[in-house]
Amino acid sequence: MNNSLLVVLVASGVAYGTPLLYAALGELLAERSGVLNLGVEGMMLVGAVMGFWTVQRVHANSGITLTLAILVAAVAGTVMSAIHAFLVITLRANQIVSGLALTIFAGAVGLSSYLGNDFNLADVPASHTFHALLPSGMQSLPVVGPILFGQDILVYISWLCVIAVGLYLSRTRPGLNLRAVGEAPAAADTMGINVTAYRYAHTLAGGAFAGVAGATVTLAITPQWVNGITGGAGWIAIALVIFAFWRPELCLVGAYFFGALQALAPQLQARNINLGPTVLWTSSLPYVMTILVLVVVSSGTARRRLGAPAALGVPYVREEH
Amino acid sequence: MKRRKLALATLLVVIGAIALVFAGAGAGRTNASAFKVAWIYVGPHNDGGWSQAHDDGRLYVQKMLGSKVATTYKENIAVGSQFNQTVASLAAQGYKMIFATSYGMITKQLAAKYPNILFEQATGTDLSKNLAEYFGRAEDTIFLSGMAAGYASKTGKLGDVLAFPIPEVVRHANAFALGAQYAHPGATVRVVWTHSWFNPAAEKKAAQSLAAAGADVIGQNVDSPAAGQFAESKGLPWVGYDSDASKFAPKSWLTASVYDWGVYYLKRVKEAMAGTWKSGFYYGTINDGFTKLAPYGPGVSAAAKAKIAAVEKKMKNGTFYEFQGPLTDQAGKVRVAKGVKMDVLKGGTNSLYGMNWFVKGVIGSPKG
Amino acid sequence: MRISVEQRLRRPRWLTVVVPVGSVVFAFLVAAVVLVATGHNPVSTYRQLFDAAFLQNQSIDQTLIVATPLAFMGLAAAAAFRMKLYNIGAEGQMYMGAIFGAAAGLYFGGRGGPAPFPIAAMVVAGMAGGAAWALISGVLRAFFKTNEILTSLLLNYVAGYILTYLIFESESYWRQTKGFNASVFPTGKPLPHSAVWPGWTLHVQGGLTFPLGAFLAVAAAIVLWVLYKLTRFGFEATVLGDSPRAARYAGVRMRRKVLAVMGVSGAIAGLGGASQIGDFSHSLDGDPNGLQKIGYGYTGIVVAALGRYNPFAVVLIAFLLGGLENAGNTLQGPDFPAGLVGVIQGIILFSALGGEILSRHRIRVERRTKRVPAAPARAPEPAA
Repeated sequence: MNNSLLVVLVASGVAYGTPLLYAALGELLAERSGVLNLGVEGMMLVGAVMGFWTVQRVHANSGITLTLAILVAAVAGTVMSAIHAFLVITLRANQIVSGLALTIFAGAVGLSSYLGNDFNLADVPASHTFHALLPSGMQSLPVVGPILFGQDILVYISWLCVIAVGLYLSRTRPGLNLRAVGEAPAAADTMGINVTAYRYAHTLAGGAFAGVAGATVTLAITPQWVNGITGGAGWIAIALVIFAFWRPELCLVGAYFFGALQALAPQLQARNINLGPTVLWTSSLPYVMTILVLVVVSSGTARRRLGAPAALGVPYVREEH
Repeated sequence: MKRRKLALATLLVVIGAIALVFAGAGAGRTNASAFKVAWIYVGPHNDGGWSQAHDDGRLYVQKMLGSKVATTYKENIAVGSQFNQTVASLAAQGYKMIFATSYGMITKQLAAKYPNILFEQATGTDLSKNLAEYFGRAEDTIFLSGMAAGYASKTGKLGDVLAFPIPEVVRHANAFALGAQYAHPGATVRVVWTHSWFNPAAEKKAAQSLAAAGADVIGQNVDSPAAGQFAESKGLPWVGYDSDASKFAPKSWLTASVYDWGVYYLKRVKEAMAGTWKSGFYYGTINDGFTKLAPYGPGVSAAAKAKIAAVEKKMKNGTFYEFQGPLTDQAGKVRVAKGVKMDVLKGGTNSLYGMNWFVKGVIGSPKG
Repeated sequence: MRISVEQRLRRPRWLTVVVPVGSVVFAFLVAAVVLVATGHNPVSTYRQLFDAAFLQNQSIDQTLIVATPLAFMGLAAAAAFRMKLYNIGAEGQMYMGAIFGAAAGLYFGGRGGPAPFPIAAMVVAGMAGGAAWALISGVLRAFFKTNEILTSLLLNYVAGYILTYLIFESESYWRQTKGFNASVFPTGKPLPHSAVWPGWTLHVQGGLTFPLGAFLAVAAAIVLWVLYKLTRFGFEATVLGDSPRAARYAGVRMRRKVLAVMGVSGAIAGLGGASQIGDFSHSLDGDPNGLQKIGYGYTGIVVAALGRYNPFAVVLIAFLLGGLENAGNTLQGPDFPAGLVGVIQGIILFSALGGEILSRHRIRVERRTKRVPAAPARAPEPAA
């Protein structure tokens, strides 16, 4: 039963969707404050390489090293996002160009490749990796075993993050202020909310999440360093935020859905189920679905209710009297 | 007005200074009389697999010939215009010999464009005055590694992670299956295609799907150790490919078919330097050390080792050939009659380079 | 202490040149710091870069091979960005242009006919393919107000998967199925000879070939410049970009403009795709590690931004950045730090972005201990 297609797909969806989830949560926070950061892929790669570097160079026990690696990855992602934040918030540069520049700067042809090469990280397995957390007895329980209990700690922490972000956005004062910042920054400003500070804080938080997302790939999913190992996950995360209507709980559902789609083609192959050009449609489906969601979200009345921050992508200029 | 002019002037001075630095371009760092040889890889030079094995060969040549050669490599070069560009720039830099390590990289037209450069291509078939081809009987050692897999399997259900549905990969998969069946009669090998030579994430997913479908040993014909890392996490035995990747999965590692390109490379570079190089089709064997088995892991029993060694000995003295008939395809039809040996190039779909069908016991489509 | 950014009243002219040039210089300086910090010699590295980009034998030839698609992608981005239509789908539009262009070349080239016809057909087909793909985002934007940034980005991926499918996962019209080699590895059908695009060769530097695409790119730049500077279409598009409300009052048809501009942008990108097939690869390249890995479409946006959307500047910068990329390709190997090209490009762009802002704004640092709430003051406060 635990090897049935459905159970395996859902379990894979959870595992492969976790980096997508972390990155999407971060991007969600940034976008809610009105900052579009297209540099997610670059930030993930830098987080991935720095997290991996930490694990290879720090000689302590597994727990400490891995925790340190995640922190280093988060810091690395934050530093990358700080460049973008400074350019688009303080200097009010074009957010799209800046985000793309960040992807080029940090991505597979840039800094992450440079660091990976310089630190000689390739072709060596990670000295420590994240393993399944719970005992194998629990993992072999029917259905919930592999899906819920067979995951590593990063997956469980991501669930906590989803809850935390959700509560933050809906129940706390700063979270509600954030909504104002993203929808109508001028109004928020007159209410005394420091728009700039909010945008900085949330963009940097987005960077931290992206860094952790990258480290999830190099320390849990495929524990090695290869140039460009995230393979475009950052772009999927950006799409995912929209697909989830900027809501954290839907990010989780969407991330696992996209993750399961990634695992679908090989699973079908292995079971000799031939559904035509499966690679083509399972790869394209997340993107096509996101476009459809976008259309729905953007049309008139739906727009108000479903969550795109109105001031997304627009630099905030406070008029001086 | 003044400030403006000053700033502009400063900028121009700075640019001028930089230009001077570049203009004072000195000679290159390399020894002008060294023989320049380049290798072109389809993946990263340190992929722990195919390209790495070639790079090890290059390093061997560099070591053996020292300052007489200047070697370099270009990695992640795709077949097509990127490859042609790379060759053009190598030619402009004075390289006299180029080894292209993946199928389709060098065409006859390309070789004709640079008549003064010697080209060698791995796994291809085009030949011309300055274009030679080389590859070898990896299928022999893959068969042996398949035997190890067969002995390690309890259920007789194995899995193989494959790249592209092309004859090279198909015959390797067949060799693996035949070896497994030799060791474990009635064994089946399920295959999943990743459509890439090197893609750790896809390879892990493929291995996962094979395990979920019941395979208890994982093999591969792809270039990263990701499938092995997965196998290690599930306690499944693993057979690698291209290089000794045991460090990625110390407990699961059984063995792998590995290439030793260095010996061939050294021979050909020396011939090129001496002017005795001639084009041709080289198909290395287990006897000239072209292909061999990587060291065994803990999961290979002493009995298995002995049986594998016995077959290896027969391969070396020519009394055993895995692609000798009778060979039956997946539909049950006998494709190669009893006693007939499959040739490397001759025989259409019954040749090694044309084989596009799977032997009986392989589960999956040879078309991808 | 507060840093505030204020708009300048007049933008000094000299800044227009100094800023882009200065940001390049600044970028190289910063990258030099990175190099030194990681144990490489910046002077020799840069010298190698320059050599490989422009001085060595055949280097300009190689640079042109990269610069041509970059020019097309840059022009495509500039055409749209000028109107604040952020088409970042040039990459996917290029793929579609390649697919359509290759189809036209295979079809018409094989049927004979006067020499320029198959090539002209490829040009038209490429433009049509790119325009059609861009119009998906255009229609969604014009009629459903869907953000074109995201739709065009997502469509890049879909286009890529289609491209790979045509060669690697199907026996399509574009796929080579005859001949021994075809069975050994998936490849595209080669273009018939009459469909291969010509080049003009100068005998300098060991042979310098200007591909047809390079001329077409310059032609596209001229057309774009004329379109935006001299026609009503261009004027209206620019006004729409700067102030949508004013444009609407003036009777500019928003929807039509959006569709037209996206169409033009996509057509240029599609032409770039056709050029890839006709000038360089001579068959449809579906390899995910081939054309799809290079990212001309994304680098083109960098080029457009650096050129501040001026078509001629875009072409020039495409040439320079092409040199940088070519140098990176040439030099990559055991002795050259990998990833350096991306780092430098990124820093150049960051500096240009920052410098751009500086040319339009002034940064003032004010000493204040508290934020002053924006309540209206009865008497004007003296500037602090």
